[in-house]
Amino acid sequence: MPVLASLRTGMSGQRRPPADEHTRVEAAAAEAAQPQRRLVLLGAAGEARSLGLIGVLVLLGIVGAVTAPASFLTTSNLVNILTTASVIGVVTVGMTFVIIGGGIDLSVGAMIALASVWSTTLATQSHGLGGMLFSALLVGAGAGLVNGILISYGRLVPFIVTLAMLVSARGLAEQLSNRRSQIVEVPSFADIALTRVLGVPMLVYILAAVCVVGWLVLNRTTFGRRTFAIGGNPEAARLAGIDVKRHTTLLYVLSGLCCGIAAIMLTAQTNTGASTHGQLYELDAIAAVIIGGTLLSGGRGSLVGSLLGVGVFTTITNLFILNNLSTPIQNIAKGAIIVAAVLLQLRSRAASP
Amino acid sequence: MTTPVLSLSGVSKRFGAVQALSEAELEVNPGEVVALVGDNGAGKSTLVKVIAGVNPADSGEIRWEGRPVAISKPHDATALGIATVYQDLSLCDNLDVVANLFLGNETIRFQVLDEIGMERHASELLHSLSVRIPSVRVPVAALSGGQRQSVAIARSLLGEPKVVMLDEPTAALGVAQTAQVLDLIERLRDRGLGVILISHNLADVKAVADRAVVLRLGRNAGDFRIGEATQEEIVQAITGASDNAVSRRRARTADAVSLTEVDK
Repeated sequence: MPVLASLRTGMSGQRRPPADEHTRVEAAAAEAAQPQRRLVLLGAAGEARSLGLIGVLVLLGIVGAVTAPASFLTTSNLVNILTTASVIGVVTVGMTFVIIGGGIDLSVGAMIALASVWSTTLATQSHGLGGMLFSALLVGAGAGLVNGILISYGRLVPFIVTLAMLVSARGLAEQLSNRRSQIVEVPSFADIALTRVLGVPMLVYILAAVCVVGWLVLNRTTFGRRTFAIGGNPEAARLAGIDVKRHTTLLYVLSGLCCGIAAIMLTAQTNTGASTHGQLYELDAIAAVIIGGTLLSGGRGSLVGSLLGVGVFTTITNLFILNNLSTPIQNIAKGAIIVAAVLLQLRSRAASP
Repeated sequence: MTTPVLSLSGVSKRFGAVQALSEAELEVNPGEVVALVGDNGAGKSTLVKVIAGVNPADSGEIRWEGRPVAISKPHDATALGIATVYQDLSLCDNLDVVANLFLGNETIRFQVLDEIGMERHASELLHSLSVRIPSVRVPVAALSGGQRQSVAIARSLLGEPKVVMLDEPTAALGVAQTAQVLDLIERLRDRGLGVILISHNLADVKAVADRAVVLRLGRNAGDFRIGEATQEEIVQAITGASDNAVSRRRARTADAVSLTEVDK
């Protein structure tokens, strides 16, 4: 239970050390004698934000239950919210890694389009399900690798490199597909979206799996620890013997790979590969990461927060649809939430030492 | 007479037209704090970088425990047992003390970070150095300058070095924090480590060093036992003249004092 575990850490992290010098030394000695199993604190503020976001989700739930009592709190609607969140959720996992590592990836939507088109060309489809899955993942990771190499070894600014990838990957997708939707002819591919286990679509399980793996990698492995280090102080990371260039490249490959997975999910859901897939996903993903408490400047953040951010956005969209409110109003509300989240972030940053 | 753990002789280094070091010498014995002093541009940093393998020397001999060695990259220095703590501390403010101590050298069990093991090791290490910090789990950003410097020094000890080089460890610190770091340097000496202390602050040098090696314009300009040399002698070696700005200023203030006494 990563959520519960990180919440617990958040609580213990806020414990203030005793002021008295002797008590402090004794406490440190006691700590040395029997270290307790607990998580590394990477900014208690980030975890407190998770608590706040859970509050926001509960609030949205209450609003939903009041404004649309017949439809909101039904199992099918909750499953619906989760399914809607699944594709963008997977993209957000990769984005969280990149942003914590001090970068940004604007090309996620375009990489999804390219991977979806590439994996549904007639040539790829002739290789069957395996070929399609493999090509989607390979194209995503490959595009991410190009981003990473240009940024790390070409020393270009991430913003520019991924902006260029945003334009050119979607252009390549249009070129490959001739701007036509490519129907998926392999029936087992669509099953990825149709299959339900215990009433919950496969897509949600894919999101869950990506999240669990992502959380473990970020919080429990050397790779995750070094991602925080590079986002915090790349020079210190380099002096500590970390291959910063290689690591940064891998972060973009990871983001591309997540886009490949998302492309498979989206293609299966719509049963088509199209160059229009994933439009503006970069903004949704970045917004979710930011309201989840991850610093845009890198070095601090949490995957749990990012996912709660996705949850908040998806639930708002769902509420607007159930209440027959228009998309423009929905977009205005989203914008306001992003601004509020960043304001909150500045406050908590000023408050913490 | 014990063999010096590290000794350099005839070390020269040129950057383009600038002769940064010419025939410089340095010796460090186990359990000895050697202060490397000199004016800006005297070649202290260059010498440190030669020893750390960041900028290898053009010529000269480096001996490690008596036998000649080549240090051509930072890894060579670390492998021999030379640790360097740079002035900018090179800590990640966003990570906690444990994460910083083990950065780039994390302990893992079954592919997973061994947090308990690292925390225990970190606590023991800091405890053995009597470094007082509120908790090993606070982000380094929350620590004072002295505590941060102590963490940086403690980190350099994880590789079990025999020589530790400290580049201006007290430069940005207040009085109490400077004392903390000087205490820590004495503890390194008590552990039998050779310490090379680069400092501008002669008070710190007098307080903690056993010997002061003076560099001037890339050459050795003096080697003093701290107990036997006066501050004037060291300053004289640093500036290269008995009549220097420091001595003139002192003479002037001394005059001023005697004048006020005459007034009374």
